[in-house]
Amino acid sequence: MAHNDNAATINITDEEIDHICEEFGNREGAVVQILQTIQDKYGYVPAEVLERVGEDLGIPHSKMFGVLTFYSQFYREPRGKFILKVCVGTACHVRGAGLLVDKIKENLHIEEGENTEDMMFTLEPVSCLGSCALAPMAMVNGNTYGKLSGDKMVDLLKQFREESAGEPETEASPAS
Amino acid sequence: MVKLTVNGKEVEVPAGTTILHAASAAGFSIPTFCYNPRMDPAGSCRICAVELEDSKRTVMGCITQVTEGMKVLTESSKVHEARKTNLELLLLHHPLDCPVCDCGGECPLQNMSFAYGGSDSRFESHRNDEPEDMKSEVLVFNSNRCILCGKCVRICDEIQDVHAIGFINRGFDTIIGPPLGKKLDCEFCGDCLEVCPTGAITDRFVRYQFRPWQMEKTETTCTSCSSGCRMVVDTENESIVRISSREGLGPNEGSICVVGRFGFNGVQSKSRLETPYVKKAQRLVPSTWDDVLPELSTKLSAIVSRGEGRVAGLASSRLPLEDAFIFQRFMRQALKSNFLDTEARQGLMNMALPLVSATGSLRPLVDHEDIVKADLIVVLGADPAVESNITGLAIKKAVRKNRAALYLVHGRDVSISSRAREVIRLAPGYEAVFLRALRETLSSGTGDLSPEVRVRLDNWGVNPDAFLRLVSDVKSSKRTIFVTGRRFHRSDAAFEASHELIRLMGERGLFASEGSGLFVLPESGNDLGVLMMGASFEWLPGLLEAKNSEQRSVWESHWNTKLPSGGGGLREILGGIEAGEIRALISFGVDPLRFLPDSAGVRKILSKLELIVVADLFQGPLADMAHYVLPAASSFERSGHVVSAEGFVQPVAAAMAPWGNALAEGNMILRLAAQMGRPLPFDSLEAVSAEIFRIFPDLRPSTRNAAYFQGKTGEILLSIPSSQPPHKAERESVNSRMADFLKQPPHSIAAPTPDDKVAKEENTFVMTLSKSINHAGTQTLLDSNLMTIEGEGLLRVPRQWARKMKLKKGACVSVSTPHGRISLPIEPVSGMADGEVHFPFHFADARFMELFPGSVSFNVHSGAQSGQTIDVKVEPIA
Repeated sequence: MAHNDNAATINITDEEIDHICEEFGNREGAVVQILQTIQDKYGYVPAEVLERVGEDLGIPHSKMFGVLTFYSQFYREPRGKFILKVCVGTACHVRGAGLLVDKIKENLHIEEGENTEDMMFTLEPVSCLGSCALAPMAMVNGNTYGKLSGDKMVDLLKQFREESAGEPETEASPAS
Repeated sequence: MVKLTVNGKEVEVPAGTTILHAASAAGFSIPTFCYNPRMDPAGSCRICAVELEDSKRTVMGCITQVTEGMKVLTESSKVHEARKTNLELLLLHHPLDCPVCDCGGECPLQNMSFAYGGSDSRFESHRNDEPEDMKSEVLVFNSNRCILCGKCVRICDEIQDVHAIGFINRGFDTIIGPPLGKKLDCEFCGDCLEVCPTGAITDRFVRYQFRPWQMEKTETTCTSCSSGCRMVVDTENESIVRISSREGLGPNEGSICVVGRFGFNGVQSKSRLETPYVKKAQRLVPSTWDDVLPELSTKLSAIVSRGEGRVAGLASSRLPLEDAFIFQRFMRQALKSNFLDTEARQGLMNMALPLVSATGSLRPLVDHEDIVKADLIVVLGADPAVESNITGLAIKKAVRKNRAALYLVHGRDVSISSRAREVIRLAPGYEAVFLRALRETLSSGTGDLSPEVRVRLDNWGVNPDAFLRLVSDVKSSKRTIFVTGRRFHRSDAAFEASHELIRLMGERGLFASEGSGLFVLPESGNDLGVLMMGASFEWLPGLLEAKNSEQRSVWESHWNTKLPSGGGGLREILGGIEAGEIRALISFGVDPLRFLPDSAGVRKILSKLELIVVADLFQGPLADMAHYVLPAASSFERSGHVVSAEGFVQPVAAAMAPWGNALAEGNMILRLAAQMGRPLPFDSLEAVSAEIFRIFPDLRPSTRNAAYFQGKTGEILLSIPSSQPPHKAERESVNSRMADFLKQPPHSIAAPTPDDKVAKEENTFVMTLSKSINHAGTQTLLDSNLMTIEGEGLLRVPRQWARKMKLKKGACVSVSTPHGRISLPIEPVSGMADGEVHFPFHFADARFMELFPGSVSFNVHSGAQSGQTIDVKVEPIA
């Protein structure tokens, strides 16, 4: 994943972390759920919060880092506002998913797994989203878009940008 | 009990035993990589596969418990096939770079591959080719060689309780390392290095500098602290290459700390004294023993002939029993003086004097095994993991495995704080009044605080609820152990506090009940031993009182001589020199100019002496003033015995030849005494050992190993304890003396009085001198390895204060007292009381000592230096 120097760093206070941990009763067993909650809220799990969560739950820092790196669902770097999950499973592949991915790369100047410089988009090809009838398809922040083509994809990207411009600025970017 | 057969041999073992242990009991060894007898089994490496004859299945020996009638085969063709396949899988990624790997030659994986012929694999995969993690200056992590057995992670979690490293990522990408890809930051005990069955973790200090089979191994006892760790010194061509341990060896069971493992370079540094020096025309010039000894003996004889008590002697606690015994006999018999003292005076003596008068022994009633089994552990003014690392491990184990209640009474968090039920913050010096309040509350019977005590606790900043919980736990606990350490022993009212503590424990019957007792942490390797041998003015060998003519006569008749009475310790020696009565000083490794402030005029007092003789490893401030400087052998170059905090008498063995012309102190003295025409009746230090063991049968060598050792392919070897004298004090004799002690009235406490308040002012702190985990004494400052780990003295300040002042680690502050001012770099530390700062005493140089007043004060009763804590003003430098 490309590191974005201009990515907005998120300031999360210790109190916010304590609050999330308390919601789960500071239980050691809830560590994955707590990290998920943090990721839902902030889009990724910043390294700085890991030690605090560990202190709250009584889990050593080295173990916390082990959990975080074990699950591929957790992200350690900030991600774009829109996560472009382009299906590259078999059905989508034969109907031109590769072209979709190429179009996105060309349009946004990013590779797989990278964020755009403005932190608007993250390209994340996925294996199969189980909607083969809609192939080629993509899922963006939980919404499904089917029977796509390169041009349609470009339109979609434009549409997301406009949507985002219309919204008031928020402190943290919701990822899901 | 369960009966089973292993390779046809019948064996009976307790239910719950694993096949691995049952096989070892039957005399068959099973190889392991991930198994360690001190830790919970993980079953991750699969090399301990064995076959069950009836079911034709292979199971893992380390995690499978035996069942009745089980028929185990450890060497069948099926087992061999399984092990070979496992090796093939392990070798998928592991590069066979043994020729350049430091582990080659002592590598269980290499040994097993050789045994099972599996150097190539039927499977194909890419080989990992990750660069080594070279961020740490101490350890190198090579993930390509790692077989992910997890032993390093588990020993860091389960034994050390440090949790510095963990598994990172998943599947083929899994590696071992510190979190966030940062530099390793831990206690650097090196246990992970020791247990790694491959070359995945290697020692950066000696990288590529050795081949294991070319080194000579010497088992010896570490003298850096009082834990009494047994370790293995690996030498090549009379120089130490590295220090390692052996799984299960000694009371430390194979663990050693940073100082023991990495601190062997100082004794091999160029600054070691290698030949005797004589002062000529204000200059020390090199000489030889043959020239120095006659000259020195003439001068000494002349001074001794003027009468009793003309010569004073100081002995380091580095000296083994034999040398300490010779030292005191030389002083008393040949030099006719009872002015002798040891380093133990500085702290431990505050505890040793009341302890011996109450119990008659310096050996503890409890050892590490009792600590592990205790229900309640109260740590008073000690940082066990730093002062006696293995005691720290025992306490951590007691809390983690057996849920012992741990209380810490200290001004700041120490490494065991996070495990404590309560941390009671107490300013230094208040231990005596605190213990009196505790004793009175315990004996009041109401189980509640008197209004008086409540006010006092508030004055001292002690949380009354925590205090009450301690009271109730002391009342209900069946096995209670009190632990005291450096801070406790060195505080101003330490002698009085020790009295209070012993009285409290006596009243609660804690000396009588099995499993309870007091565990004292001495500061150096043989503090207890030098005192037992009579190297201080109070005691003759065997802790007989020198001032008591009846007890003195025991040795007088034994040695057939009249022994001097009177005399004194450091305080009296300085007084005697100043008064012109003492004319000569012989110091075996004790340098008062290092720990007494220069401004106190000690240098001026010492300059009155006619003769100063210094025997040491290095040149120091006292040696600069000396007329004769004699090169002493380090603990790696001599033989002898030392007494650990647990009371074990363990051998120190010579791992290499003496440095240059250095001699063990005992040998120097034997030669000097002979030269003076007052020979001592021993021709070698071995003869002295024999004499000590004959007179004191209970000081014959003793030790404790873990239940199991581990062999070259990770197999389990039963350790068979041999008969040895008890290392603990005898409860019966302790209790009979204790009764007399309790009849005496409580000792008075002069200051602070119970009603004194702990003052709090802006930017004003109480500064204590603490021990660093990375150093021992001041000589380790000459050790390049340890200096790489901790190279400068940082003033530890409360994190909350540093944050308020916007100061980061390394920022300089001005530290001032009415006597002086210096600037020091800081390190903000969490968990410190608001009003305290501390500084590692190793780095307290002459400039630092200027902060202290221009006079030396001593505890009235013990003669130990007091005033070692001081109020300072700490301010940011603008």
